[in-house]
Amino acid sequence: MLTQLASAVKNQRLARFVRHNDEHRTDWVGPACIALLGLVGVFFIYSAQSYSGGGAWKMQIMWLLVGAAVYTLISLVNYKVFLEYAHIVYWAGVLLLLPLAAQSLLGVDLPLVETRSGSTRWYDFGPISIQPTELAKIGTLVMVSSILARSEIGTFRESIKVLIKVGFAFFLPLFLIFLQPDLGSALVFPPMVFSLLYVSKLSQRFFAVSFAAFVAVVLIVGFDVYRYKSFMESNDLSFLNDTGAYQGQSIIPLKDYQRNRILTFAAPQVVDPRGTGVAWNLNQSLIAVAGGGLSGKGLGEGTQAKLGYLPPTVATNDFIFPVLAEESGFLGSALVLLLFLVLVANGIRIAGLARDRFGMLLAVGVSVVFMVHIFVNIGMTIGLMPITGLPLPFLSYGGSFVLSCCILQGLIQSVYRFRKDFS
Amino acid sequence: MNRSYVSAFRFLLLVFAVLSCFVVLLGRLYYLHVVQHERLAGLADKARNRVQVVNARRGDIVDARGNLLATTNAVYTIGLDPHSLKEEDYAKIPEIARLLDLPEAKLTEAFDTRYRLGSGEAGKEPRAIRWTKLAENVEEPVYEQLSALGVRAVYGNRQYMRVYPGGELAAHVLGYVNKEAQPVMGVESYLDFYLRGQDGWHESERDGRRQELAQFRRREVEATNGLSVELSLSASIQHAVEEEVRRVVAEFNPQAVTIIVGEPATGYILAMANYPSFDPNHFWDFPIDAQRNRAVTDMFEPGSTFKIVPAAAALNEGLVKADTVFDCAAPTAEYKGRTIKLPGDAHRMEDLTVEEIVYKSSNRGAAQLGILLGEQKLYQYARAFGYGEASGYAPSPEAPGTLHPVSAWDGLTISRLPMGHAVSATPIQVHAAMGSVANGGVLMEPQVVRRVFDESGETVVRFAPRARRRAVTPETAAQICDMLEKVVGGEGTAKRAFIEDYAVAGKTGTTQKIIDGRYSSQHHVASFSGFFPADSPRLVITVVVDDPEMRGPAYGGLVAAPAFRNVAKHCISTLGIPPVETDAELVSASGITPSSLAENSARTRPIATAF
Repeated sequence: MLTQLASAVKNQRLARFVRHNDEHRTDWVGPACIALLGLVGVFFIYSAQSYSGGGAWKMQIMWLLVGAAVYTLISLVNYKVFLEYAHIVYWAGVLLLLPLAAQSLLGVDLPLVETRSGSTRWYDFGPISIQPTELAKIGTLVMVSSILARSEIGTFRESIKVLIKVGFAFFLPLFLIFLQPDLGSALVFPPMVFSLLYVSKLSQRFFAVSFAAFVAVVLIVGFDVYRYKSFMESNDLSFLNDTGAYQGQSIIPLKDYQRNRILTFAAPQVVDPRGTGVAWNLNQSLIAVAGGGLSGKGLGEGTQAKLGYLPPTVATNDFIFPVLAEESGFLGSALVLLLFLVLVANGIRIAGLARDRFGMLLAVGVSVVFMVHIFVNIGMTIGLMPITGLPLPFLSYGGSFVLSCCILQGLIQSVYRFRKDFS
Repeated sequence: MNRSYVSAFRFLLLVFAVLSCFVVLLGRLYYLHVVQHERLAGLADKARNRVQVVNARRGDIVDARGNLLATTNAVYTIGLDPHSLKEEDYAKIPEIARLLDLPEAKLTEAFDTRYRLGSGEAGKEPRAIRWTKLAENVEEPVYEQLSALGVRAVYGNRQYMRVYPGGELAAHVLGYVNKEAQPVMGVESYLDFYLRGQDGWHESERDGRRQELAQFRRREVEATNGLSVELSLSASIQHAVEEEVRRVVAEFNPQAVTIIVGEPATGYILAMANYPSFDPNHFWDFPIDAQRNRAVTDMFEPGSTFKIVPAAAALNEGLVKADTVFDCAAPTAEYKGRTIKLPGDAHRMEDLTVEEIVYKSSNRGAAQLGILLGEQKLYQYARAFGYGEASGYAPSPEAPGTLHPVSAWDGLTISRLPMGHAVSATPIQVHAAMGSVANGGVLMEPQVVRRVFDESGETVVRFAPRARRRAVTPETAAQICDMLEKVVGGEGTAKRAFIEDYAVAGKTGTTQKIIDGRYSSQHHVASFSGFFPADSPRLVITVVVDDPEMRGPAYGGLVAAPAFRNVAKHCISTLGIPPVETDAELVSASGITPSSLAENSARTRPIATAF
């Protein structure tokens, strides 16, 4: 379908809207990877649901088609538009986050705002739900890139005003997302912004300090989780059944279930000795991946998702990777990993090709966002990272996320197409 | 390339970071996929694999006429999976409620309750309900009606329940199956091999909700139901016997009662009952003491019922004739150059014939018969009549009784064993010995099982009558029969066992119980073992009453003989046993008529006694 669209772009009638200064050019590596990953995703969503039934794969095709259109649209528009109008995208995203944060914080029941198992992350429009965090993510990326592109960055002291601006643009959506709460999505923001600052020639000292701060946060969280463990054990409370007993007395605004996740990652046998509670998904995911072996059980032959060991609620989105890994084995998952690598590396290559700072920052930011998604999602399914609700680009089922990925990749295409060449 | 906006170093570092992320993922994937494959994949297969046992139905136990004594009912536990409900199922709520005897409102509530709060990651979260129990112990016909409604969401799990329709009826013979489906005693345990059948199994996979996946079913082995067992018992006679046991208990408040009814010719047992008894349907409510089949486990000194052994032995050896006279007044006798003191009789006896020794139950006479026989012969005949060895009653563990070998005898044994002391026996041994007299001298193995049969009624295993040995010649047996017939005559010890026109023969026994190492004058075991009609015996009946409460010695003739007669009368009408020609001479000699019998029963002092 992408080739059709691409040919449509080549077609004169559409091409009129695309004003090139240079000769006609399009990056084909990115779209090819996206198309392949999208197809793989549809197949394994279908496979995961093939016994329980469910038309998620059809919806995913629909979303991918819409996504392809959005991708084309974004890539036809010169990315420099966003340099001018970044604040519009940004504020739209932040405003959409406000009602979610309000409902989560105040407990009021707002129209369309939906709370699922304690998290307020969605606008519910009947058949489809929209996750505004995705828009906020794009908005923040564009906003921060725009700020940094217009400013001279040097030492920390010289660029303090810029950093305050960036900090504001960064922390406002992050704070609102924390309120939902959605730890996983919030996880994407810091690497994105820090990598943008890093390639903006900010002084090394800033990063040294930031890194120290990061370590400090990790230590504080680690100590808090340790205190949580001691508290639960000394009071003979169950990690699984008495969630919420500790969170009131902690200085860190984490929920006990989030502590459980961190603890599950660090010491699964403490939280869930029988492996049937919080460690269940991880265990079943590991079994799925290992069950695949070198060459997999065969396409459509996997059992972990079909039989409901990987719960149907997560098998099609956050845990789509183990479904793939079980059926296609090491060869299949390595191939998908390679596709992701090519996609991300291509983004960085385009960042290197860009001849203006904004384009370069956009491409780097998008690539880092993808990198984080890929690493955190696959990492959590194979026990390298704590479990968070971060989906896998183009494979996981989910409309908002497919669209946001297409927009981000569309930006890269736009950078490729509208970059200035000196040659 | 000109990277005026990015330093080459920083850009390379970014590339390096991205690459190392991928390398880490790839390495971990390799570890899981290839290195951990065997271990984790095996774990998953084990969790998925499911073997479901299909229980075999345990066979029935029936009496000789096919009356059910023990059977297995299929009962269903009915439950509901609210998530499988369809729209049209709601219309059937009244019908289901009627069948299950549930209030409609309650059923509607169960239909509508699809989730419960379970503990999840973020506190309480709803969990799907896949099984709500609606009713238990639903009978098969009701379940069939329920299935016919076609509501797939309402379904049952079959369970088998062992049922003893007669309650306490023949409890000790049947035994029971405990809550772990293990047979504990009786025929249930003895023939468990045939009764239990062969369980089948379904091997398949199950999903994350632990529900079976029929599409993955790999192997189906259907259950083979158990075979059924036909006993020689007659439910009707058994019932009458148990009634009689209850009557004896009500009248004498004994510690224990045993009554056995059997066929002498075959050794088949028609009824066997004990007090205290129990109900196998809820065996757990009864003390373990009540569950013992005392007929084969509890030993007592048989006393005078044993006197048929020295009498038959002496006759069989040709040492005496029925009319050989012994001086039963003499207090001592010579044996092997020693003078031994003979046991006394309750009443002084003068010269008695062998026949009189038996029917008047003279201890001193019996002792002289024993001395005449000698130790070895006496021992041999006691063994021949089945004393000191298990009778072969298979369904329950049996006590073999005690009969010491000659080498272990002391100086008094030769004079005490003939009157049934210094030996202990179970009721079934006394019964079998008496049966051999009724059976022309052949000792039979007491059996309670006739055959094992399959669902079509075809016999699979037949338990034919088994003779153990010939104890005495038919002639000797016939002579003993004649003597025993006089026991219930006018001068005998058991006139209360008399039944007009049925020529009852038998022997009473009354032994003092040994309390604290001494024979007690207060506590007795009263027994009577007899058969009828004397000429062609149809039934042997043995009654043993342990420690009946009454004033004076509890003689077998007083306590056990009436029970014999009551049971015998019931058997006569149940089995339709024809009367025999009355021997007019015998009746006139005994001076007994039905009316004089009634008078006799009022007397408390018997005319002859035996210790």
